Amino acid sequence: MPFESVNGKVVRAHLGTGRTVLSRRGAMLGYQGEVAFRPVSGTGGGGVRGVVGAALAGESQPMMAATGSGSVLYGLRGLHVTVVDLDGRSPLLVEADRLLAHDADLQTSVQLIGSGGLRQAVRGAATGQGLFTTRVAGAGAVALLSHGGTFALPVRPGEVVVVDPQAYVASVGALSVELRARVGWRDAVGRGSGEAFQLQVTGSGTVHVQASENKL
Amino acid sequence: MATLSARGRVLQVDLRGDAVRAVQGAMVACTGEVEFTGAGLGGGDGLRAALRRKAAGEGLALMECSGTGTVHLAVEARHVEVVDLAGDTLSVESESLLAVTPGLRLDVRFAGLGGLSSGQGLATTTVTGTGQAALLSDGPAIALEVAPGRSLVVDPDAFVASRGSLTTTLVSGISWRSLVGEGSGEPFSLRFDGTGVVLVQPAER
Repeated sequence: MPFESVNGKVVRAHLGTGRTVLSRRGAMLGYQGEVAFRPVSGTGGGGVRGVVGAALAGESQPMMAATGSGSVLYGLRGLHVTVVDLDGRSPLLVEADRLLAHDADLQTSVQLIGSGGLRQAVRGAATGQGLFTTRVAGAGAVALLSHGGTFALPVRPGEVVVVDPQAYVASVGALSVELRARVGWRDAVGRGSGEAFQLQVTGSGTVHVQASENKL
Repeated sequence: MATLSARGRVLQVDLRGDAVRAVQGAMVACTGEVEFTGAGLGGGDGLRAALRRKAAGEGLALMECSGTGTVHLAVEARHVEVVDLAGDTLSVESESLLAVTPGLRLDVRFAGLGGLSSGQGLATTTVTGTGQAALLSDGPAIALEVAPGRSLVVDPDAFVASRGSLTTTLVSGISWRSLVGEGSGEPFSLRFDGTGVVLVQPAER
């Protein structure tokens, strides 16, 4: 078990021979054993170009690496932590500020959100979803931050899952996430349902949704 | 028949062709065919209820979710409880209401001057009929029983909802101590007498 949930808001990472864990800088709550921490710039991996790219995209978080033998406790600002295990076949898409910790052998990179080009990007900016998202690939475990915990919704081919942009946390699998505006005349006169912007998820995989519309 | 089921901090609504009314903007995810519309003036309870709500200042912006799919509702990571009603009335703090099934009517009951000092407005929202109502609470709510001879006193800021035949009175604990700033921090409390159940949350608004 790479990450073990201590409670809803704290995870314990077991370090062993050759196992390094990357985490948000400052998210360590405590550790046992012989553990050394060193800062890592950017989201890790990708060299200088990756770091600069991540900084430009606003998808960079100062990270640190924990090595040694022992266990480390991670938690941040009383937020709930969800552990997602990746099997190496399908990547995880998440915003960088929601990444609490992950195995160092996972590769992280920054990519443009959606596939709709500039129009999609403008919509992303308009709803606070951001233009870029972080892609985590490989086999290993990831600990994600959320407000109020997450629940996993399966997405099957031919089915559309609609998610509130503020409540969307992460997605795993071969999924396409598209932003759709459903602004009608009702919204213009102030009689809307309050659900004008929606993320439409199609494909096959899993979406993780948090129980709140508060962004981190 | 639409069903509501509480999953910790998330409410799962299986619509099955019905229209469920919920707090505007509370949808976090949905699958299948679901349509969202504003519940219109008065939240779908007629003009009289709308006027009463306006007069009482019990602001409640509702939307209607209709279709055959499943909707997940959540508000600011607050806990969700589902209450089954069979013709009886539930009194609820308006900011604690999350969703109601079609068989239920929302109205406003004036609580007299009691609400004025507690900051909860002059009125409480009532839910009447047969169906399910979903409530929100900061932290898991606890149900406290009230029986004749065993009245219950709760903090107005922790009160979530009550059902049964209960009379509510506001108890003032103001004395010369509170005037000189040496009060206990509990100047007002709500007292329940009769037979029923009161839901209380472990946080004060």
